[in-house]
Amino acid sequence: MKPEFLPIWLVVFLPICGAIIQGLLGKMLLQSLGPKWGKRIMGTIAVLPVAIAFAIALNLTFLLAKETDRLAIIKVFDWIHFQSLSIPFELRVDTLSMTMTLIITGIGSLIHIFATGYMADEKDYTRFFTYLNLFVACMLVLVLGNNLGLLFIGWEGVGVCSYLLIGFWYKDTANSKAANKAFIVNRIGDFGLTLGMFYLVYLIAGNREVLGITDTRWLSYDNILPHAAEFFKQFPTETTIISLLLFVGAMGKSAQFPLYIWLPDAMAGPTPVSALIHAATMVTSGVVLMNRMSPIVSQSALAMSVIAITGAVTALLGAAIAFGQTDIKKVLAFSTVSQLGYMFIGCGVGAFSGGLFHVITHAFFKALLFLGAGSVIYAMAHNQDMRNYGNLNKWIKITFALMVCGFIGIAGVPYIGAGAFSKESILMAAVNDHATLGVFGSTLTWGALAGWIGFLVAAMTAFYMTRMMLLTFFSGPERWLTIDPVHAHAGHDDHEHEHHHAHTHHGEDKHAFFYTEAEMADIDAKTEHEHHHDLDSHHKPKEVPMVMWLPLIPLALGSLGFLGFWLENNELLHNWLYPVHGEAHEEVAHAISHQMGLIISFVVSLGGIIGAFLVYFKKLPESEGWNFSKWNPIRRGALVQFGVDAVLADGSVRTGDIFGRAMKWFDENIIDGIVRGVGNVAGLLGGLLKQPQTGKVRSYAFLMLMGAAGMIAYIAYIINSRGGGN
Amino acid sequence: MLNQVSLLAQAPPADVPLGWYLYLSVAMFCIGAVGVLVRRNPVVLFMCIELMLNAVNLSFLAFARYLPGLPVTLAVEDAATASTGGQIMVIFVMAVAAAEVAVGLGIIMAIFRQKNEVDVDDMSTLRG
Repeated sequence: MKPEFLPIWLVVFLPICGAIIQGLLGKMLLQSLGPKWGKRIMGTIAVLPVAIAFAIALNLTFLLAKETDRLAIIKVFDWIHFQSLSIPFELRVDTLSMTMTLIITGIGSLIHIFATGYMADEKDYTRFFTYLNLFVACMLVLVLGNNLGLLFIGWEGVGVCSYLLIGFWYKDTANSKAANKAFIVNRIGDFGLTLGMFYLVYLIAGNREVLGITDTRWLSYDNILPHAAEFFKQFPTETTIISLLLFVGAMGKSAQFPLYIWLPDAMAGPTPVSALIHAATMVTSGVVLMNRMSPIVSQSALAMSVIAITGAVTALLGAAIAFGQTDIKKVLAFSTVSQLGYMFIGCGVGAFSGGLFHVITHAFFKALLFLGAGSVIYAMAHNQDMRNYGNLNKWIKITFALMVCGFIGIAGVPYIGAGAFSKESILMAAVNDHATLGVFGSTLTWGALAGWIGFLVAAMTAFYMTRMMLLTFFSGPERWLTIDPVHAHAGHDDHEHEHHHAHTHHGEDKHAFFYTEAEMADIDAKTEHEHHHDLDSHHKPKEVPMVMWLPLIPLALGSLGFLGFWLENNELLHNWLYPVHGEAHEEVAHAISHQMGLIISFVVSLGGIIGAFLVYFKKLPESEGWNFSKWNPIRRGALVQFGVDAVLADGSVRTGDIFGRAMKWFDENIIDGIVRGVGNVAGLLGGLLKQPQTGKVRSYAFLMLMGAAGMIAYIAYIINSRGGGN
Repeated sequence: MLNQVSLLAQAPPADVPLGWYLYLSVAMFCIGAVGVLVRRNPVVLFMCIELMLNAVNLSFLAFARYLPGLPVTLAVEDAATASTGGQIMVIFVMAVAAAEVAVGLGIIMAIFRQKNEVDVDDMSTLRG
């Protein structure tokens, strides 16, 4: 225990305090202070804990850099304590956890600031920040916890917060459905994680001596991980099973194919939530898990192959689907899915630090792009359909400039985009990979295949991101000026539920499940909310207030090449994370040299960008307009996610339905049959016994007489036979 | 009991032997029983039941008089030493029979008010 790291508990505690204050006192304070000042003060109270936590974490990171072993464990309190097992509430300060803590609190506080502006019109202002602060706290527990128990608390906690925030505007049925979907799909992943954890615990519990664990904290990382590499080599099958189960958990949280289907729907939540939870932090927790468990996971070539190829499939699918999306947030959502795929390619080929590198850069540029998209949506009267945009660079210059930085980051423009460095470090490791199995026994490994797919996806990423930027900010005249009123409501965003018209086109509630029309009208009349207008031909996009673009500037700086270059240079990040991943980078003969990789990166990213410029710079092509019949079939397929979502969602519903029917049949026929059978037997016996019960007095009399006569005859016979006669 | 019946031989010749009482009792009981079985009028049924009860009463009294160790004549002065057990039992039976008739006739009246006729075979709603 190193006392100088004690303030780490404050990092977790402050956001919890923030959530408690917002949740318990928020409404009261908001009412007593009045809407204007109340929101300003509550917004400040929401931002402060996260910002202070960032300052503390930054300070601790500098302290950590001076430590030789780069590890400090702070026990906050005893949580679970048995005779032979204790799971204390321990926080682990090491390079991985502090890197993630800086991202969570740093980017988190910027997004909190943005949200104070974005949610300014929101009635349930404090409820939003309760959830957001709670999310930060849970995420910090996830990354800082020193044992699997705490990781699980954080894991479930962020899941709950994600659910609450996706369904933030719960009066809209569509949002509630999206929240449920996210939660349920995540449960599938959690199931895998739980099993993996239990199996791991089971394996360790039986081999405590082998691992050299002397105290009872045998769930803690500092007891498991140092000797994990040698230990798990002895159990290849178990290691593969554990790794794959943990990966299933990571698939759920980090939206890997096929469990990605919740993430696009999660965009129903407010845009700051999309930026913080569904792009920058929570979805990367799977990568954190893989990084943390890297000494175990890297022992199984099969698991590594599965991880790499799943990442590649996810990256490819996400990028392909993004081509067919017209909703600006959906494009970014699928781009997130695709980028998460990259991170798992990195983990799969053993480049765990590369995966984390991409987590860092992605957090910057994706948060920036989401917040920028939020600004665009804000400026465009909450319309999200890019087909209504066009030439916005004239109208919202600051947002445009900031988003260009994010675009450069994600499109991987060589040297000036942060994403270029992280992608390159992953893909170079992947194409030169020897850790994974060969593809059906060939010399090309799964990792290398994933790497080549990654290069293809890099080109696709550059293309669709350019498409998004051009359709929004260029592509000819302002399209909403000549808007067809029918389309004005297409792709209307989350805010809309607040208004009465939402009830009729977007969040319609056909069965009046939540409110009747009359009640809804009543609520609308009472609400202080200013009725914002629909996007129409008189609309003039206005730049967002400063509170919404200022926090984007640090993100924009991070998206540019400095960050990537700084972390990449001399393998700074790799060496920083060395204590977590062990084994130094071994120099093997590279099939694809660094220069070669650089050339390929150049070609794919610039090729994608130039290609998209040729298509979209001048105008919105007819083939992507309002008339879906003019779309080519592949793009139409991409719009509906190539049916993956439908197949999985409907398929699981149908499977569940069939299973339910089978169970119903079993219940109705077998279980009920047994119960009814018992009843029937009793009934049958009763039917037999009721025959003499005729109700006729004379027949009873006859039977009594016969019985009495019989008894007397029997007694007489007994007496006689005993010789009673004489 | 059959032993006692064999004591008939010791009974004084002037008296009616115990066997005769018992034959009469059995005959009355059978007439009553057959009447209960074949007749459908509840009033007649009651009469038959009374007949059976009185048949039993008769046998009680006869046994009370003729039990061994007691005077075996029917002379009035011997009555004081006759067994009281059987006689007491007869009193009980008569009391119960009276109560039974009172209740039974009440039921019959109630049924008659409902249906304007009384036939025991029609009163079979309590069947299984």
